[in-house]
Amino acid sequence: MYQNIVKNIITILISILVVTIVLFILNSSPLDIYKALFDGAFGNIDKLSRTMLITSIMALTGLALVITFSTGLWNIGIEGQVLFGAIGATFIARSFMGDLTIAPFITVLSGAAFGGFLGFLSAILKTKFNVHEIFGGLGLDFLAAGLIVYLVIGPWKREGIASTGGTDLFPEASWMPHIGNSNFPIFPLLIMFIVFILLAFLLTKTSLGLKLIATGSNKNATDKFKINSIHYIAYAFIIAGAVGGMAGSIQATGIYHKLVPNISGGYGFLGILIALIAGRNLYSVLLISFVFASIMVGGVQLQLRLGMDSSFPYIIESVFVISWLITRASDIDSKITKYIFLKDK
Amino acid sequence: METYEATILTIVTMSSPLIFAVIGETISERVGIVNLSMEGTLLITALAGFAATIVTNSPYIGIICAGLLGGGIALFIVLINFQLQINQIAIGFILTILLWKLSSYLGQSYVRIPGPYLDIITVPYLSDIPFIGPIIFNSNILTISSIFLIPLSWYFLFKTQLGINLRSVGENPASADARGINVMKTRLIYAVLGGILIGIGGAAFSLHVKYGWSEGHTINYGWIALAIVIFGGWNPIRGSIGVYGFGALQVLALKLQSVTIGFSQILPLIPFPLMILTLVLIQSANKNSGLGIPKIIRILILGNQPQALGITYKKNG
Repeated sequence: MYQNIVKNIITILISILVVTIVLFILNSSPLDIYKALFDGAFGNIDKLSRTMLITSIMALTGLALVITFSTGLWNIGIEGQVLFGAIGATFIARSFMGDLTIAPFITVLSGAAFGGFLGFLSAILKTKFNVHEIFGGLGLDFLAAGLIVYLVIGPWKREGIASTGGTDLFPEASWMPHIGNSNFPIFPLLIMFIVFILLAFLLTKTSLGLKLIATGSNKNATDKFKINSIHYIAYAFIIAGAVGGMAGSIQATGIYHKLVPNISGGYGFLGILIALIAGRNLYSVLLISFVFASIMVGGVQLQLRLGMDSSFPYIIESVFVISWLITRASDIDSKITKYIFLKDK
Repeated sequence: METYEATILTIVTMSSPLIFAVIGETISERVGIVNLSMEGTLLITALAGFAATIVTNSPYIGIICAGLLGGGIALFIVLINFQLQINQIAIGFILTILLWKLSSYLGQSYVRIPGPYLDIITVPYLSDIPFIGPIIFNSNILTISSIFLIPLSWYFLFKTQLGINLRSVGENPASADARGINVMKTRLIYAVLGGILIGIGGAAFSLHVKYGWSEGHTINYGWIALAIVIFGGWNPIRGSIGVYGFGALQVLALKLQSVTIGFSQILPLIPFPLMILTLVLIQSANKNSGLGIPKIIRILILGNQPQALGITYKKNG
């Protein structure tokens, strides 16, 4: 246990070192960047609120990846599931239900249902037609993107003008509510924690969770034990889609307050990066989402203060993930850990 | 020039980057390596090709630099996959994001600046072919070589011993190994070759079809190429038909731009349902061994996914 923590810290330090070197090569001062990122993410209560809001969205997409990872499959369709979730939320917000007091609650459920539906399609392609989940998921991502463009310029276009700028704003009743005057994203965080607890419970305490993990560990063996792995793959994708869909509905009702073509903000794909580090560990998803969200939100400050390109947060994150994976796979971290512990004795 | 000739030229010209990219990825996937970084590779090589052209004042050096960079990226994926057993999908996916964003950052000083163009060359004899000869074989080196690449790569993959070896590594690395083929070396060589072609595809955007550089210059074309590779059933000829079909749709979209709103936004998405459909058809046909499907349709629609696609090969012992 203790050794494991040291090993993680060593991997993190090595990865930060690599990121720093890359930033240095890119002709910038890493220290200034880190400082601006920190100020940008936590400098005042508004920035912190924003950071927490993005954390909740990224954690949901990360969790959506971990579920299918536990059955041994990729959920590249996450981006589409986020988009479908946003469509589901918009559908409710634009209907008569959009004016109800409980509208925000219904939009989240509707987002989950829409996202879950797209997850189900991924599962059907995978299990029924044996389509590789990478290609199936990617295809569904772009189909969802096409559907949003169609909706925004077609049936849901703004009064009079069809533009890709988005639909009309939702009625305010359906916006993700705040408490008092603060912007603190209390409800998105609540959704994140509820989903997190439910998933943790599902994976560790229920027989469904056990069978999901069994499917991921050895598909042939589970088939022999008469666990129908096809069903569990489908469950995993539906749950993942629903979780991703909730992220999409938060984007729609909590950030944009309307449907826009790029409503996912790319957080679906960033969720994949998060899950690559987290593996099957749910706690790590929360932690990494928080760090990555800080980098994303802090990145705005990078542009304002240092006049740097908006691509820096992505560069930092992807370099971090690559060096994390390489450090892990090459066992450098274990070797250093062993060295440290041997020296203690 | 008559209009239909102009249209053919436009389609063939516009399609040349995707021809390189699709055939490059086809070769890579046939040997079992998914180069999922294609979206990022196209962007960064488009930038590298243009930047090298500006610096050296020679578009030919630009093409070479873009090709080398594309090959280098593929080499990185393959080495990481071999040496550390890191999943090809994982590394390709991260590289997509990294290279895409790097291209935005590094390309800032190259946005919308002018530079030298590729020369027009005339291919002897072929340019005498009636109708299409004078227009297609009287073009620049990228358009012309994209056309030659289609039959050459098909012949290589399906009619030569080297091509058979290549495909056997992608189908069943263990038995290829048992037959004395060096799996690692074969995968390395052809994945890098594929990467070089993808890189040239990137240069074909920035030096030719969409001259210059702007942020996200080739955005989505990498994913589109990935879809067309599958739609083409991992066959260079069918893949190229897919590319030209897509090119024709692009030309159509340009002409309809004033009439319909939004078609140009929907257009880039058309290859994806086709990709899913092809995969579904392939798999259901494989289930009943393609019985009951006329041969001509089988050739047109079906194809075999390389069985060891994306699977890390680890030699026993």
